[in-house]
Amino acid sequence: MDSQGMHDAVVSLAEELRGAEFPLRTTGSDEARAVKQELIGQIDDYLLPRLRQIGAPLLTVIGGSTGAGKSTLVNSLVGRTVSTAGVLRPTTTTPILVCHPVDLGWFEGNRILPGLPRQTGAPATGSRALHLVVDPDVPEGIALLDAPDVDSVVEANRELAAQLLVAADLWLFVTTASRYADAVPWEFLRKARARSTALALVLNRVPQEGLDAVPGHLAEMLRREGLGDAPVLTVPEAPLEDGLIPAGALEPVTSWLHHLAVDADARARVIRTTLEGAISSLAPRASVIGAELDAQVAAASALADEAHRIYDLALHEIEQSLSGGALLRAEVLARWHEFIGTGDVMRSLQSAVGRFRDRLNDLVLGRPPVEAEVRTEVERGIEAIVLAASDKAAERVIEAWRATPSGRALVEGDAVPLRSSNLSSAVDTEVRAWQASVLELVRRQGAGKRAAGRVVSVGVNAAGAALMIAVFAHTGGLTGGEVVVAGGTAALSQRLLEALFGDEAVRALTTRARSELLARLQKLLVAEAERFAQAARAGVPAPDRAQAVRTAVESVSAAAS
Amino acid sequence: MRSVLPRTKEPPLRDRLAALRELVEVAEGRLEGAEVAAARALLERAEERLGLGSDRTVVALAGATGSGKSSLFNALAGEELSRVGVTRPTTDSPLACVWGSGSEELLDWLRVPKRHHKEDPALEGLVLLDLPDHDSTEVHHRLEVDRLVRLVDVFVWVVDPQKYADAALHEGYLRPLAAHAAVTLVVLNHIDHLSDVERRQCQKDLERLLEADGLRRVRVLATSARTGEGMDALKAAIKRRVEEERAVTERLTADLHQLARDLSYLCRGKDVKRTVIPEAERERLVDALSGAAGVPVVTRAVARTHRRDAGLAMGWPFTRWLRRFRPDPLRRLHLRQEAGGRTSLPPASPAQRAEVENAVRRVATGAATGLPDPWPVLVRSRAGGSVDQLLDAMDEVVGGAGVGNLDRPRWWSAAGVLQVILTTMAFLGFAWLALLFGLEWLQIPRPPTPEVRELPWPTLLLIGGLLGGFLLSLLCAQLARFGAARRRRRVEQRLRGAVGDLAESSILAPVEEEVASHHSFCRALELMGGGR
Repeated sequence: MDSQGMHDAVVSLAEELRGAEFPLRTTGSDEARAVKQELIGQIDDYLLPRLRQIGAPLLTVIGGSTGAGKSTLVNSLVGRTVSTAGVLRPTTTTPILVCHPVDLGWFEGNRILPGLPRQTGAPATGSRALHLVVDPDVPEGIALLDAPDVDSVVEANRELAAQLLVAADLWLFVTTASRYADAVPWEFLRKARARSTALALVLNRVPQEGLDAVPGHLAEMLRREGLGDAPVLTVPEAPLEDGLIPAGALEPVTSWLHHLAVDADARARVIRTTLEGAISSLAPRASVIGAELDAQVAAASALADEAHRIYDLALHEIEQSLSGGALLRAEVLARWHEFIGTGDVMRSLQSAVGRFRDRLNDLVLGRPPVEAEVRTEVERGIEAIVLAASDKAAERVIEAWRATPSGRALVEGDAVPLRSSNLSSAVDTEVRAWQASVLELVRRQGAGKRAAGRVVSVGVNAAGAALMIAVFAHTGGLTGGEVVVAGGTAALSQRLLEALFGDEAVRALTTRARSELLARLQKLLVAEAERFAQAARAGVPAPDRAQAVRTAVESVSAAAS
Repeated sequence: MRSVLPRTKEPPLRDRLAALRELVEVAEGRLEGAEVAAARALLERAEERLGLGSDRTVVALAGATGSGKSSLFNALAGEELSRVGVTRPTTDSPLACVWGSGSEELLDWLRVPKRHHKEDPALEGLVLLDLPDHDSTEVHHRLEVDRLVRLVDVFVWVVDPQKYADAALHEGYLRPLAAHAAVTLVVLNHIDHLSDVERRQCQKDLERLLEADGLRRVRVLATSARTGEGMDALKAAIKRRVEEERAVTERLTADLHQLARDLSYLCRGKDVKRTVIPEAERERLVDALSGAAGVPVVTRAVARTHRRDAGLAMGWPFTRWLRRFRPDPLRRLHLRQEAGGRTSLPPASPAQRAEVENAVRRVATGAATGLPDPWPVLVRSRAGGSVDQLLDAMDEVVGGAGVGNLDRPRWWSAAGVLQVILTTMAFLGFAWLALLFGLEWLQIPRPPTPEVRELPWPTLLLIGGLLGGFLLSLLCAQLARFGAARRRRRVEQRLRGAVGDLAESSILAPVEEEVASHHSFCRALELMGGGR
């Protein structure tokens, strides 16, 4: 194994992992978040320090359940009180590292556990710092770290314990005759197995009557879990002497530790086992991250696609509504028909007098000219249709999203409002712009010699209004009499236009006006859908992050071989 | 949650359960499955447990593996009923010891098959359970504990100096059962392992942790099954619970409190008072519905028909016949006949339908403002039923409003008679003149024609009749115009009223009902968890 190459590969993997975010709630997001935290912790607290300095002392972390007697064990191994022991739970709140004075240099800097500040002297309770104690009785090349309880009622302790255990070259797992079947510690033991961390168990406080049955039962349980290689060091229950376990009872632990202290090769083997185990456990766990990144991207785009699909459907519905014929209220339509003449179009065309009379009427009655009313009416109608369709689409998106765990969190409590606040005025603006361009269209079409005179006789505004009405009844490909049947109420307008511009031109004009309107409305609806799509994509990493994680994992594996 | 109840005394369990029943009814089909299921399960459990009688008290010894539950159980039973061992975990399935008889049904309900019977008048009515551990590697032990913890009346949590601060106990059981302090006992066992000072420290520390869990009023008893220390106090504490016969009620009350607390997020924030839909919103809705129902078309037709009828009744007879060729606008809409049947009103335009949808949505959104999930969705779906159905119903309403029933004002006939007289006069004058003309043509000398101020009578009659009729028709037309406008307003009022009634019954009432369902949910919740 190339240490430097491995170091660089692990550094770049850590970089990739730090960038992996999981904002969407998927089936695997919680797990991925936990795995990410754990991997980063393992890399920073253990792998990188160990890869940089393979010769550093063996860090033995003493972990275990609350009340199992970890602190007493450490004190007894050192031969004096370095860690507060007692009946109060949890006792150890500040982790204590005990080492030989020669080895102190290895631990003073930020080589291992860079996240924890260092502290010497009397341990201050409650501070989250690594407390360093030197003692010449501790063998050189071995450091003992007293960790907090893995199953403490204080959550911060549990987290710290997990962090410290990850940093260990060797776990000395302390349990007791009454606790060895607890579920929580076994979860930690399984994690140790998954990472091939070197492991030894201390079975503390075994009563006389249990000395035959209990160690055997524990060994059997370890075998069943695939941890049969881990030594079980049994410490019988004995009254404490000055708060320390009597030497006789502690003998199995001291001799095991002594054996490790004198044999540098054995220490190196332990370190190597744990290191290699940690490295080979990186790939399967990092692949969880890669898979979850893929899942996040897929979930985000599925949500966004769903939103766009529903809004597309809304646009289609708007199109249907607009072709449904009368966009005008019956009253306004009746007035329009009176204006352009209920009977013969040509008569009406020639009868400038009739229109003059209408104008006079409008003036006397104080109502707006009929074309203006048609335009207002068209505007109002389109706005109502678009708002209704857009609101309905938003409701459908919310309903669809609520059915998925990732979408549900995004729309909880109206996080995305039904419509953007300015949609109503945006529709107004678009429709007015469209109307202006319809008038422009008519004006240009009327510039031809044949049509010019006729357009002048009705007025551009009236011709424009007729075109707007015809657009909504435009049934594509029908002309003349067919339109009367199909188009119903808009037939008169169609005929007026045909008289002005001719069949062909009218068809082109209506198609053009219609597609322009739909294009403008589509722009609005896409923007509405995009609000949802953006909420889905917010914070989701780019699609290539997953590949980057996989590449980083591959280079770690390559460096290992 | 704001209180709507006077805080005088604790409502009895019976009332709380009635509130729970109402709550389940409201929640059914509205809330998520898990929440309704929890409420319904509690209701069933409470009814079953109360049905089994509260003169028996089920006390369960629960705790971690190795804390000495079985030793305590044996000590209380006074005989080695439960196996005690050094390897962990020991107790595999729950074991019952019953004082007195007649608890078979209760134990069947608890599904505890291993039973022992003891006779001791002091503990008559006690059903003591030895539970498996909750924290060992054996998962089925924990599942069994979780099942029984829901059913028993009194918990005795057994801890030892090694394990009293385990997260598995505090986070898994004591904190979630914080409402159950009244039926919880905590026993610190194995105190023979500690010195007196340590014992006091340990007990104090345990009490501190319990307080942090929210179990303020819980007593901690120190015992040792091995030396028998503290056993009498434990026995006395259990005996008291059995004698009081209150544990069943207290346990269920605590469950109801707990459920109320779990669901309280649904009644937080805004006042839960009944939301009133503002008048302006109602008006907008009626406007939109009226437009879609064709009310303006109908009123216009009513006015026109009125004028047409007036013209037919009182118009100038010489042009009156022309009016017959003009169609009757109301008849065209199929509104002329008596009430009923489909009208021929033009269907609502897409824009009008959209306006109806928008108005309905506004009403629903406004009414649901401030309500917690899922009520806004519920309110919207109750309001926004099928627009097609609504429009059909409105067509019927308009058709059935009897707008075609146009009674004629009485003066119309008088004016009609006057028209006839004037026309007759004109005819008389014309006939007279024709006679005079005929006589002249036949060269027959004319009789003298009476005159008024130089004007001959026949001429006067003809011109007067024609002119008078014409002027009368103009006057009548103008009067009919006023009448038409008045009638139009009346019809409009009537139709809007009818449409408003329909809006009330098919949109506003369901919306208000749905909003009110939240109100009654919260009232039930408050009643259920009230007091304390």
